[in-house]
Amino acid sequence: MSRDSTTPPEGYDVSRETMLDFKVDQQLLEVVETDARNFILTTVDEVFNWARLSSIWPVTFGLACCAIEMMATSATRYDIDRFGAGAFRATPRQADLMIVSGTVTAKMAKRLKLIYDQMPEPKWVIAMGSCAIGGGPYFKYGYHVVKGVDFMVPVDVYVPGCPPRPEVLLEGLMRLQDKIRGRKGRFVAPKWVQDYAKKIPYRK
Amino acid sequence: MDHKAIFDLLAERIGAGAIAFHEDPIEPWAEIAVGRIAEACLFLRDDPRLAFDQLMCLSGLDWDGYDENGKGKSVAILGYQDDGTPEPGDRTATGDLGVAYHLYSHSLRHKFTLRVRMPRDRNVVPTVSGVWPTASWHEREAWDLVGIRFGGHPDLRRMLLEEDWVGHPLRKDYVMPGSWSGVPLQGQPFSENPFAPAAPAPAGGDTPAEG
Repeated sequence: MSRDSTTPPEGYDVSRETMLDFKVDQQLLEVVETDARNFILTTVDEVFNWARLSSIWPVTFGLACCAIEMMATSATRYDIDRFGAGAFRATPRQADLMIVSGTVTAKMAKRLKLIYDQMPEPKWVIAMGSCAIGGGPYFKYGYHVVKGVDFMVPVDVYVPGCPPRPEVLLEGLMRLQDKIRGRKGRFVAPKWVQDYAKKIPYRK
Repeated sequence: MDHKAIFDLLAERIGAGAIAFHEDPIEPWAEIAVGRIAEACLFLRDDPRLAFDQLMCLSGLDWDGYDENGKGKSVAILGYQDDGTPEPGDRTATGDLGVAYHLYSHSLRHKFTLRVRMPRDRNVVPTVSGVWPTASWHEREAWDLVGIRFGGHPDLRRMLLEEDWVGHPLRKDYVMPGSWSGVPLQGQPFSENPFAPAAPAPAGGDTPAEG
């Protein structure tokens, strides 16, 4: 059975659709017309995000064999400094990023939480390796292992591997940079909003 | 020196305290009465024919599930289930506990192994930390993980775990903890995985079915 494209299917409430569209248009117009400050804030935010993602300082925090890979990542061959994340700080008060590189034992979990709480905002966490993601090989009989560091602190990027190679950690760092950069996404107006904006007299 | 000769010297000294000699191909070992172990170790260290000046390792043993010859089926130890919660269990282990001492002589370059074995409810062994000071930490570790008391130890605290830990984790009837001191130790069911694949979009929404 063929159906004319202009005819709505059975049971489809056209009036509801129109009403919704109308409301959305009204709200968007209000935003664009009255809240023009957004466009200035977008630029500032973009600059801030760029500054943050270009120099992520990790805290020196190695827990297990993943820490060896993290050290290799910061050494000459892979050189995490190319991404601005090479300044491993000896104190959490100067750090933006905690790379949880290894098994989080029950005793260390308390210290880890303390270190995380000492870091200034904004701060990010990379869970590196199977143990930090979900307990890894210690899931079944690890009486002393936290089954995932996200039980203790919020995690931004999970880097799988046992242990992950340095390339993977760099990939995770780049994804974290994308995430920081992505914060501007909510301030960039879609094209149809920009079309609305062109209709506003003072923007011409 | 030959292992059997070492054992004969030891048996000559402590008599019935040297219970048996086991000529295992990899590691011959002597079974010593629990009450005589400190005396035997002091003799092994001080006798110039033996001169065991180093305790390489001291290990706690849980013989639950094994017979007196060290043979038998291993018992099923408890872990965490697939949903992350600890496996429940109320089994009380009945097998013996033990301690193994691995000795080495730097001057004579020979090795020897001692073992003691005692019932689970009488788990007290005389300390050898007066013979080799390095035994002090090893005995603390054996107390921490296997729960063997060492009589006369100067400072028998837990070595690896915190003081408020409940139980001795390497015992075969140990039940895994769900949490410890506010730290969650149990896992997460796979169904609660926040990264599970998204459910398919319900049909009949924005895109009406062709028909």
